[in-house]
Amino acid sequence: MICLRAWRWLAAFAFLLAASALGISPARATSPPVPDATAPVTIWHAYRGVEQATLDALVASFDGDVNVLAIPYDAFGAKLAAAIPLGEGPDLFIDSHERLGDFIHRGLVTPLPPETLEEAAYAPQALAAVTLPDTEGRPRRWGAPLSMKSLALYVNTDLLPEAPATLEGFGELTETLPEGVFPLAWEANSAYAHAAILGAYGIGLLTEEETFGMRGDGAERSLTLVLNLLKAGVLPEDADGALVTDLFRSGKAAAVISGPWLAGDLPDTLHYEVRDLPAVADAARGRTRGEGDAPALMRPLLTVESLMISPRGATHPRAAALLAHLTSAEAGRRRARDARALSARTDAPPPSADAFLRAFQAQASLATPMPAVRAMRAVWEPASRAIRKTLRQDMAPERALEEAARRFRDVRRPPPPPKDPTVLLTVLGALSLFGALTLVHRARRPAMRARLRASLPAYRYVIHGVLLVGVLVLGPILVGAATALFAGQPHQMYYVGLDNFVDILTARSGPLFASGSFYLVLIVTVAWTACNVVLHLAIGVTLALVLSRPLLKLKSVYRVLLIVPWSVPSYVTALAWKGMFHRQFGAVTGIIEGLNDIFGTHLEPIAWFATFSTSFAANLTTNVWLGFPFMMVVTLGALTAVPKDVLEAAEVDGATPLQRLWHVTLPMIKPTMIPATVLGSIWTFNMFNVVFLVSGGEPDGTTDILISEAYRWAFTREARYGYAAAYAVLIFLILAGASTAGARWIDRSKERA
Amino acid sequence: MNKKQILNNALSHGLLLVAVAFALYPVLWVIALAFSGETTPGARAIPVPTAPTMDHLREVVSTTRPTPDGGTAWLFGQQLANSLLVSIATALVGVGVAIPVAYALARFEFVGKSGGMATLLATQMFPAVASAVPLFIMLEAMGLLNTRTGLILCYASTSVPFAIFQLRGAFETIPVDLEEAAMVDGASRFEAFVRVVLPVAKPAIAVTFLFAFMTAYNEFILAATLLSDESMFTLPVVLQRFIGEYDAQWEAFAAGALVVSIPVMALFYLLQKHMVAGLGAGGVKG
Amino acid sequence: MVNVETQGLRKSFGDTEVLKGIDLRVPEGAFAVLVGPSGCGKSTLLRLLAGLEEASEGTILFGGEDVTTRAPKDRDVAMVFQSYALYPHMSVRDNLAFGLKLRKTPSNVITARVDEAAAVLGLEPLLDRFPRALSGGQRQRVAMGRAIVRRSKLFLFDEPLSNLDPSLRTQVRVDIRKQHDRLGATSIYVTHDQVEAMTLADLLFVLSEGEVQQSGSPLEVYEDPANRFVAGFVGSPAMNFIEGCRVSADGTAVHVGEHRLTLTPRETYAPAQLADLEVCVGVRPHDLNVVTESNNSLPFSPSILETLGPEIHAHGTFGAHEGVVAVSAEIRLARGVMVHVRPTRLYLFDQATGATLR
Repeated sequence: MICLRAWRWLAAFAFLLAASALGISPARATSPPVPDATAPVTIWHAYRGVEQATLDALVASFDGDVNVLAIPYDAFGAKLAAAIPLGEGPDLFIDSHERLGDFIHRGLVTPLPPETLEEAAYAPQALAAVTLPDTEGRPRRWGAPLSMKSLALYVNTDLLPEAPATLEGFGELTETLPEGVFPLAWEANSAYAHAAILGAYGIGLLTEEETFGMRGDGAERSLTLVLNLLKAGVLPEDADGALVTDLFRSGKAAAVISGPWLAGDLPDTLHYEVRDLPAVADAARGRTRGEGDAPALMRPLLTVESLMISPRGATHPRAAALLAHLTSAEAGRRRARDARALSARTDAPPPSADAFLRAFQAQASLATPMPAVRAMRAVWEPASRAIRKTLRQDMAPERALEEAARRFRDVRRPPPPPKDPTVLLTVLGALSLFGALTLVHRARRPAMRARLRASLPAYRYVIHGVLLVGVLVLGPILVGAATALFAGQPHQMYYVGLDNFVDILTARSGPLFASGSFYLVLIVTVAWTACNVVLHLAIGVTLALVLSRPLLKLKSVYRVLLIVPWSVPSYVTALAWKGMFHRQFGAVTGIIEGLNDIFGTHLEPIAWFATFSTSFAANLTTNVWLGFPFMMVVTLGALTAVPKDVLEAAEVDGATPLQRLWHVTLPMIKPTMIPATVLGSIWTFNMFNVVFLVSGGEPDGTTDILISEAYRWAFTREARYGYAAAYAVLIFLILAGASTAGARWIDRSKERA
Repeated sequence: MNKKQILNNALSHGLLLVAVAFALYPVLWVIALAFSGETTPGARAIPVPTAPTMDHLREVVSTTRPTPDGGTAWLFGQQLANSLLVSIATALVGVGVAIPVAYALARFEFVGKSGGMATLLATQMFPAVASAVPLFIMLEAMGLLNTRTGLILCYASTSVPFAIFQLRGAFETIPVDLEEAAMVDGASRFEAFVRVVLPVAKPAIAVTFLFAFMTAYNEFILAATLLSDESMFTLPVVLQRFIGEYDAQWEAFAAGALVVSIPVMALFYLLQKHMVAGLGAGGVKG
Repeated sequence: MVNVETQGLRKSFGDTEVLKGIDLRVPEGAFAVLVGPSGCGKSTLLRLLAGLEEASEGTILFGGEDVTTRAPKDRDVAMVFQSYALYPHMSVRDNLAFGLKLRKTPSNVITARVDEAAAVLGLEPLLDRFPRALSGGQRQRVAMGRAIVRRSKLFLFDEPLSNLDPSLRTQVRVDIRKQHDRLGATSIYVTHDQVEAMTLADLLFVLSEGEVQQSGSPLEVYEDPANRFVAGFVGSPAMNFIEGCRVSADGTAVHVGEHRLTLTPRETYAPAQLADLEVCVGVRPHDLNVVTESNNSLPFSPSILETLGPEIHAHGTFGAHEGVVAVSAEIRLARGVMVHVRPTRLYLFDQATGATLR
């Protein structure tokens, strides 16, 4: 009932807002304002620690006013995308070159003016990385390379004075190394690391034609190879970055494959060297070319950190000077010295004493620049899933890769074609005309006029609230909802009718319950909501009942302690729980080890985020912890309103305590509990923070709920806001439908009572 | 006390102790981590700091930034002030806007009341993911991007609907007689509202204020997106930077979390005794 | 001091008409009581007078001045609420002073008046307490005090005693009347309790179903009820009614079953009009005496005795009709007795309209 009325209101606004949504697109194409020469140059980066300090020092030595802003890495892309089109963002920004394709597509970056780069001074692979065609197909330089990063081999020289030359060679070390030491470790589940092995097979993650590259015999063999190493105990299972670090620093891995960032976490007492990645003997087999059996070298992906210019920066007179200052050979040497960053300039080589950086320099010359085209963004998720599924032996390599290719095509599916908005406009026009006529008609009835006149005093109290909520809440929501009918980039959207909805509801033409499909995610979301609400209620009500026992001592102490979870900021607790579920140093593992010590059992620490059920359980635990105090407090409040004499009457009537609870107490607190439960259900259904921060959808997005799925479509996949908005509208419809049905059901049961 | 009662009491205490352990464990874990000198301690079940140190706390709290005049400013202090300022302003604006609306909903009959209520409820169901981008564009048009005012407006708008529901419930529990007595005593309706209803509803208003404060104090996604000046950041944005994909500085995060949590926890405990009454007496009735 | 008058006052809530044209006339300084069963509209009428509700139709005059559309604060009335409506966030002193403060009374005047009211009502030791720390009777006195300090020309009371212990009621009732006599302001008092109404009122208005059934002094109303409703409502225990009686053809007697009761022209029965009419006979319990002879008497079968001390109420039946007889000594149960009806105290009501027949 409630929501039917809400619809009438929504319909009344719809025409207006759809029109304004349409109006946004042309207005956005205007060029940013030209800054004057004295304005400071703004530069954004996501550096921390020494890298940040070095950048700050370099900027300080520049003759001119500069605003430097460090932005959290996670928010960097989203902020650029949001700010630059509005002319708000930086003039220069530092990011990895692989995002260039996307930045170009969104118009966040402009090509460097000709002659800006001393091209001869740069490593060719670095220049190749920042070279991409512009909209007319001409190759342009889109950024000035600063530094290069790639994976290399860290070898613990105490354990392994001589590293094997081939990957397979590490397999033979299991016998010779001490007990419990892995010969080799790397983040085997990640597509980034696996790309180095694929490189040995001559395969890229992406083909020249921008299709999914990880196909065919070589790709399958690469997976089989790693799987065999895993089975043989050469590699640790389910290794993530933290485990790799941990194993190497504690001497439990003789060698690891990692990037320069690992060095910062290693203690001075550890003796290690950095070498080129080993070759892959298997990759050499079956090669038809005349190279004999010479092993094929692993080719890691090269990331080139580059300084990019925003459209606004291109008009700033001082931006180019700052760019030149920051990319000079002197700056490169300084970065190499202070931040130990491998400069992309050949005339700024690492200090000769720095064997570490020199090793990375050698590896960089063998590395392949990561493709910067937009299609690359769609590679990671499916590729990593395929690798994980293979290594966990959930699927044969062939099938896993096939599925991955399908998922890649799925994300890459071109957005629906534009449609003629006439139908929409006609319908909206007719609807709003009808609505307006109805309103006028009703307002002209004398009874209505009298009611309106009687309403005037109330309007004085609500008018400002209506304005604020209307402008800041309802407006964005309606525009956001209207976005669901559009596709394309944020500022060049075009009308596609209901295609986004059709796409979602047909599971993008795939199997209805394929992983990531709307229906599967909906099932997970409903299960998530149900489990949470049931547990919140069960724990909250139980504790409240115990706390309201009249004879209990220390009641207020308990109550204060039990609402602690409510009082701590929720993102802090979400991240704390994520830490507690950490496989290596998490408290949960600590508890398991404690149990092992006490009872002599051999329970394995659980990799909580590796399987759906444990990952879901971790999310659930966090959210239950977060949410039960609310229910407890609500119940306590409701219990104070239960008159004692009713309970006493029931007792006199011979009811047992359990019967009193069931037949008297619970029915009497129901009127308070139902709205609280409804509200709790809505919150849980849209509980983004916990899912996003604790499991992050791991493994493979299976623990994602609808809202985090929508978030991914908007911000981490192809920035398909229309698609994300369609998800949001569906979420709204589900919740509105469910609560309307719920309200009816409650009304009916009230009537029966 | 007979045997059965003793048994019941023991059971109750047992249950409550287990619940308290569950409730406190993560908090203790964070505290232990914050004071642990050894980086990345191994898995430990008992949350006691290893090699106790104040270094992390000092490191987190003592960040600075250069000022235009060549000196340095206490960055963390500025960010803490931002967080408090934004949260208090959000709560003031949110509760301030919600109070008269909630009063009108509780006391007056007017055309559009049920429609308005339904719309408010509906706004709670629409995920922010889709409305964030239009909001962003709007704030830009108003020139409020990268300002604390813009952030406050965003937060206030999200906290208003909940505050309205909450306060409406609270106002409904206040007897109409009180206002009528005041009106007969010589107050206008508005005076009666200000001088009688508001003081009587003070506990409920305080609890609502707290919730609005917490919404703003805990939010990081919007803050990270809207603000692009380090001296403008709120603490959650600062904290978020400690947990990266490759190098999570858990100890620094824990230390920061501790500092961040203290003000809001203090406020929470100041007001918690009102919460039972406020929420139970129909506070959350939709 | 002001006289209060309403003309054709109507009030509807949606489709239900609560007041159906009330004409009230309360002279200056009078203590008027509006009495009636719950739902009769008496509280609504009081709220209309206070300005807390808006009249749908009709006018309200205070001292001849039309105040129908005035806000409550501009009517200069004081009101005591059933719930007392003490401001919980103010001390007793501030509760008393609030109305004066709102009217911007000088603070020395406020202090004087508050002290005076506190002295009169015995509230001095309580002035710094908060309402939650007061007993029911104390709260009632604060509510009274809040009205008194205002020195309004019109006092309104909305069932001010219904939340008190019965033992306190009589005393507070007397206090209220005393204060009225001391201050001399016009008072309008709403109650459903006819004892309160009878004891307090100078002027009684009996309301039922949104209409004034009868007005007059308590004795007038008691002695000469305008209709069967008023007759049954005023007086305790309530009047006995025996339906289906027939007036004799000459109009001098009424037949109750085979028993004949003489009609004595109390004021002016009009025998010609009454002759042979089917009526309802009403007689108050106190106008019945247990007798042995059957002259002008009715048979009564007592089933329960309620001993009140000085008198005993015998509940039983007159034939098929339930009724009560007030007796001075115990009578034997389970045996029919004859009760004598004082001829001058017999009331006849129209069987259809309930109007008193004269």
